[in-house]
Amino acid sequence: MLLIGTVTVSWYLAVGAVLFVLGAVCMATKRNLLGVLMGVELVLNGANMNFIAFGSKVLRPEGSLGLDGQLIALFVIVLAAAEAAVALAIALNFYNNHNTVDVDRANELNG
Amino acid sequence: MESTTDFYNLIDALKADSANSLGLFMPEITLCVFIALFLAVRLVTTKLDLFWVALAGAVVGLVSSNPLQLCGGNVESEELFTGLLVHDGLTIAIRSILMLFLVLFLIFTKISGVPDKEDGADVYSLVFGSTLGMCLMASANHLLIVFLAIEMAGVPSYVLAGLIKGRKRGSESALKYAIYGAGAAGVMLYGISLLVGLSGTAHLPTMALELAQIIPQAGLGEQAVLCLAAVMISVGIAFKLSAVPFHFWAPDVFHGACAEVNAFLSVASKAAALALLLRLAVGLGSVPLSEIEAPQAIQQTVEAHQETVQTDLVPTHLVSLEDEAVSGSDEDIDVKSSEPVEAQANAETEAPATEAEVVEAVDPRLEIKQAHDEALSPVRNFIGLLIAFFAVITATFGNLAAYGQKNIKRLLAYSTIAHAGYMMMAVTPLMMMLGTDNNGAEQAASALIQYIVVYVFLNLGAFSIIAFLRNYVGSEEIEDYSGMVKSRPVLVICLALIFFSLVGLPPLSGFLGKFAIFASLADGYSTAGSSALLVLLIAGGLNTAISLFYYLGVIKTMVMGEPDESHHLGDRPVGRIEMAYVVVVSIPTVFLIVCWQWVAGFADEAVKHFIS
Repeated sequence: MLLIGTVTVSWYLAVGAVLFVLGAVCMATKRNLLGVLMGVELVLNGANMNFIAFGSKVLRPEGSLGLDGQLIALFVIVLAAAEAAVALAIALNFYNNHNTVDVDRANELNG
Repeated sequence: MESTTDFYNLIDALKADSANSLGLFMPEITLCVFIALFLAVRLVTTKLDLFWVALAGAVVGLVSSNPLQLCGGNVESEELFTGLLVHDGLTIAIRSILMLFLVLFLIFTKISGVPDKEDGADVYSLVFGSTLGMCLMASANHLLIVFLAIEMAGVPSYVLAGLIKGRKRGSESALKYAIYGAGAAGVMLYGISLLVGLSGTAHLPTMALELAQIIPQAGLGEQAVLCLAAVMISVGIAFKLSAVPFHFWAPDVFHGACAEVNAFLSVASKAAALALLLRLAVGLGSVPLSEIEAPQAIQQTVEAHQETVQTDLVPTHLVSLEDEAVSGSDEDIDVKSSEPVEAQANAETEAPATEAEVVEAVDPRLEIKQAHDEALSPVRNFIGLLIAFFAVITATFGNLAAYGQKNIKRLLAYSTIAHAGYMMMAVTPLMMMLGTDNNGAEQAASALIQYIVVYVFLNLGAFSIIAFLRNYVGSEEIEDYSGMVKSRPVLVICLALIFFSLVGLPPLSGFLGKFAIFASLADGYSTAGSSALLVLLIAGGLNTAISLFYYLGVIKTMVMGEPDESHHLGDRPVGRIEMAYVVVVSIPTVFLIVCWQWVAGFADEAVKHFIS
């Protein structure tokens, strides 16, 4: 059934939703900073999946986003790279000061 | 053959559009040029002090954003870069506030000595980059730009939070800010993808038009998706506004980062985020008149009377309008520059020659608009209630949590959160009155701008006083400031005035800002009759009362406490320049009542064509 059915937008949306949920769970549960950053990437790519699926004229002849979808996805990819670079630099700075990248050790400021 | 002509028409239209847009985009371009300059200089040498260059850049930005335009008269709403950005009174107002803030902020950092000469170029490029993002937030007209702008404003701020090297707390606050920020942005992007997918466009006015058609026949599933998307997008904006329950980064970041960075984060990003909230709320809640196609025959009558429209643009516009249904992306290329002119012509009822036709031409479009706005009323209600919910818990929680604070920066962080709540309150009456009472809605938007003007400079003054006191005392704990009034009377008096103004005691400026917002709440309650507005009004009043005490507590420690110089660690005296700066920033802001007419006029002019 899975092999012969027609692929529609909703299939892609399902993949995107799974990526989003995995990313969100990853962000919430991982204690290692790098794991949290991976979660962020998963969330962004889950959204990207949606944009590309919505932008496709093959999958969605009517009411498709068209090129907008693909362009937004490209912008998001670049932005995710920039954000990852900044976050990793901050992680390195944190490591220099605390000798760990465990987010639970970031507990000096609270109240 | 025809498609080639279309293509050339398209290229010509794009050229004209870009040429027009670049002129109105000058402040942002100025910022870009100076960022490139800072980075280039940093490559060559680290010895140069770039403060004067940065100051020159900010002044050029302020001059090119030209706030006097608003005093001059009619600023039309105009779409830039094929509809990605919009240029209207609100853009000019927020951009001018941001640039003026940038100038004052640069002077402040120079006086307080953070950043030092070596870091100067880096910090200035980060601050300029963040300001660029905020300017884009204020003029976003497309969901891609909304997301890009939020990230452009956010990513440099993460770095700024960890500005001081080798400090454990600084690195911790940068880490928390970056993680929460990235998470919130990811959730927001997912929400945007749902909304964009459902409506088939990312251009805000077109999206409102699509939603007006979708919503009346939406099934349960579609409604659920729309609500989910709205909630997810609100997560991103609530994070930027530090609204409860997405506020938890704010106290930690404010505590860990230095006071200079706090001033930048609390003030500039708040103003920009509120402008973005206004844009999104109004953009999704009503269909602008310029977006509605008049029935064909009447449109031609109007065009016949249009000598001013460049004739070469009109065919392209018509062609692309017909293509609209076929492809969503053509919609963005579609040049709207001819439409505002038509709308203007329609609005100019005093033109005697065309009056009869114009009246005829206006009616059908207004009718269509009314029908669309009617269809969008569930959207407005939902957004209004969502924001009301955020506003009430934000203001209440911020004020209550501020009580137990021992650190002055943490206290101001909670005060910032509470003020974000007050400011969000203005958006609910705006949404409730939109469509039924556009004048009242404009008043609400204007009240918000007035509050922003007051709040931005009050908070800048508060944080600059804290930075100077830190340099002097070497501490940011409130109890270390006890008896400060004897040694530093000017700073303490200014801080007291600022705090009283933040509480909203008459006749200080904070009172006028709060009064404007509460007045629009009351106005909204009497016209729209929504009980949510009454709840907001009561919550706002109660909050104002309870906020008095923690501000007073700080002042009391400073004035009545016993001076204790034994644990003063700072080595920098508070000199004349510091005092002059504090007086120059805080006194005019606090006593804004003297020229309140001007502020109110500025705000009214800013939102004049915002709601059409």
